[in-house]
Amino acid sequence: MRLSYSDKAVTGLLTVVPANERSFVDEMANFNFSPKRSLKLKEVMGYDRHRIVSGPVCSSDLAVAGIEHLFASGKLQREDIGALIVVTQSPDYLMPATSSVIQGRLGLHDDIFCIDINQGCAGFIIGLMQAFMLLDQPAIGKVVLVNVDVMSRKVSPRDRNSYPLIGDAASVTVIERRAGARPIEASLKMDGTRREALMIPAGGFRRPSDASTAEMVEDSEGNFRALDNLIMDGSAVFNFVMTEVPELIGDLLAQTGTQAEAVDAFLCHQPNRFMLQKLADKVGVSHDKMPSNIVEHFGNSSGVTIPLAAAFNLREQLLERPLQVCLAGFGVGLTWGAMLMELGPLEFCEMIDYEEDE
Amino acid sequence: MDEFLVEMAEILEEDAVGPSDELDGFESWDSLAALSVVAMADAQFGVRMSSQEVRSAETVEDLYQLISAKKAA
Repeated sequence: MRLSYSDKAVTGLLTVVPANERSFVDEMANFNFSPKRSLKLKEVMGYDRHRIVSGPVCSSDLAVAGIEHLFASGKLQREDIGALIVVTQSPDYLMPATSSVIQGRLGLHDDIFCIDINQGCAGFIIGLMQAFMLLDQPAIGKVVLVNVDVMSRKVSPRDRNSYPLIGDAASVTVIERRAGARPIEASLKMDGTRREALMIPAGGFRRPSDASTAEMVEDSEGNFRALDNLIMDGSAVFNFVMTEVPELIGDLLAQTGTQAEAVDAFLCHQPNRFMLQKLADKVGVSHDKMPSNIVEHFGNSSGVTIPLAAAFNLREQLLERPLQVCLAGFGVGLTWGAMLMELGPLEFCEMIDYEEDE
Repeated sequence: MDEFLVEMAEILEEDAVGPSDELDGFESWDSLAALSVVAMADAQFGVRMSSQEVRSAETVEDLYQLISAKKAA
């Protein structure tokens, strides 16, 4: 569906990544593959380093650290927050909502709209859409959107399909009304019939976790994982992205009369460099206009990868001037969405590390 | 077929491959190679294959026939 929003703007962006960095080469021994083939995987997919929590760090820990940093540095006032949206697939608890956990830990006032959204790699697009809708209420002045996941805790270290690319991270995005802002145009699609392409089979009410769901089982490719772990059908996801996303972006550009050359940057979800370069070729934009360097530096942190791609590659520009950007997120659900918007000048655009207690 | 054999040699990290070569005979025939075939089928032939379909082929020629049949359909 086509969605439009007026008089709304992103005014600040912060990312939080665990200080703990792991390298692909050090972790290769965990995989049931020859070193030669693992190095080939590294080269083809563009794996190198990734940031993952080492201890039992939860989503609210990363989010609270980020928002407290904004309070301490005067970039955000706690009494200004009218809504807190948390997009995560790794909540602290099944209940209550992680947004309530964060509100309570930060001591925010009770005149606030807290909501959790269960979304993954399209989670930044979905979160922005929810923020824009909340800002239609005059009572809400500032929306804080938190995208956060600690999915490394749900990926088997012996799963060569998913472990080398997984990353943990949080982002804190501030969204406000801005009279006269250029309209934001978006497009969103969902297909729940393909819901098993990316999933954690056990741990919900359909298949509660027990001893049998923790049992590590070898698949036909030599990967070991349990039903409690994330499982991804790599070729199904690849075909999904190559089929649906170029069409989604192409249609949005055409419907809004936007030339690809007029877009300063295509900030897409970051599954791996291999897929992003093929996506850029299909959309028909140069590789340098579609950053693909987040997985090799930080890993794939689902809904946080678009904020990371923006902050890591465009920080100076975003602090200075407005950029015309096309965002695209795609993943679990399946869900795919694109958004054309003016981004910047931002009041802040910052990246910080999260240090774990010893 | 010639273009396909060149692409397959690259994916399998061999100097050259022949139509009757058994895929399981190559050390590099694994999940990464299968995904590379999926990507190649999409980019070069405009055909969508699943990893399972790719892995069902026994020889290089089987794979070519699978892709050709999909392209004709």
